Amino acid sequence: MAAKRPVDRPRPTLLIILAAALTLLTLQFRGLQPLDAFQQGVRDIVEPVRSLSDRLTDPVQTAWNGVFGFEALRLENERLEVELARMRGNALTSEADTELLNRLLSEVDIAYSDFDAVVVRILGQPPGNFSSHMIEVDKGTDDGIEEGMAVVTGAGLVGRLEQVDRSRSLVQLATHPDFRVGVRLVTSQDEGLAKGTGTEGILRIESGVRLDAQVDNDEVLVTSGGRSLFPGDIPVGKVLDPDSDADYRRSIIIGLAADLENLSFLKVVLPAEKPEGMR
Amino acid sequence: MSSRLRVVAVLLTALVAQATLLTEIRLQGATVELMMVIAILAGFHGGPERGALVAFFAGLLQDSLLSVPLGLHALVFPPLAVAVSSLEQRMVRSKPATDAVALLLATTAGIFTVAGVGLLFGLSPYDPETLLVRILTAAVMTTAIAAPVNRAVRWAVLGGLPPDIKLRTVGS
Repeated sequence: MAAKRPVDRPRPTLLIILAAALTLLTLQFRGLQPLDAFQQGVRDIVEPVRSLSDRLTDPVQTAWNGVFGFEALRLENERLEVELARMRGNALTSEADTELLNRLLSEVDIAYSDFDAVVVRILGQPPGNFSSHMIEVDKGTDDGIEEGMAVVTGAGLVGRLEQVDRSRSLVQLATHPDFRVGVRLVTSQDEGLAKGTGTEGILRIESGVRLDAQVDNDEVLVTSGGRSLFPGDIPVGKVLDPDSDADYRRSIIIGLAADLENLSFLKVVLPAEKPEGMR
Repeated sequence: MSSRLRVVAVLLTALVAQATLLTEIRLQGATVELMMVIAILAGFHGGPERGALVAFFAGLLQDSLLSVPLGLHALVFPPLAVAVSSLEQRMVRSKPATDAVALLLATTAGIFTVAGVGLLFGLSPYDPETLLVRILTAAVMTTAIAAPVNRAVRWAVLGGLPPDIKLRTVGS
């Protein structure tokens, strides 16, 4: 039998530590500001080292990808060629969709491309294993962006800013299970709440749209605006499955317009009325 | 240098390594859980009380670095360190291979527990489709880098002193 360490009091110590951890968790969930500030402070202290490390490892990463990612790159190229051919074949449909979207957007007198935005570069996945459907970008509060702002590409909505530090931010992708956005079907004008499914490129509407509402396949959806955190009329995607046969609860499947693979740059949409000092 | 300073130095160095180099090294989307392995090894070398304290602060730093509520890892790491310490005291013989297997199991259990506690608190940290693969990959990667971390943690928590002399009798 192992000799007991005379100075060890593991049980009381462990209980005190667990109580402290639970207290911190509770206070954090109650929104105690100093705890957020502490976490942000730690990240801000580490930030210069991370930036330096990013700069130093960039060439190594590029070389690594060039050597070990060549096959993946070749396959990706082939996939894109097939995709390009398919897109050319669907050009007429796409043009019709674009025309429909533009017509509907012009009816509410807002052009999607007119939003003020800050361009951000994707740095990659955030540290740790808690980073599914999250990406890190290279701008923060110093550049005038804030938590909750919409993140888009030319194709449409990508996600929202989840956590904003001084010079880095985390983007919660639209496919994250916790992501929610108010959407409007451009033809029927029905509104609903879309949420991420955890599956690549797929959102789902489970509330808001009436059971008897006419929803067609490939119908375009945009953000509804209003009381939502996001500005209205940002393209979200197309209906993949309208679930027209639902008896009790309708579950409409949406294909996200923006491709979340192989992104390099994104745009953070700034509010229409910017506070003074914001770019 | 006192033991506390050495622990602080090891934790801060590990935090920077976790935030920089280790973030870049990913397999199947998984990365090394450096702070967790420090917590486990602190329990192994430092005993339950010292291990739990080191693990608590390792957890707090991990929580600060990641976008998770403060206290999540700090809640999981100390019991893990105490459990490892308790098992270590009950082991009659210790070989590198068995230590590695034990570390792999402890890391896997730790990541599972973090994911479970995260879900209890309303987080959805893992993609359910890749959960198992990601956890196992992270555990294997973490075990693979344990040797140098082991030396650093041993230096920090024991402070160059010989480990406690333990009297063990088989079968009692």
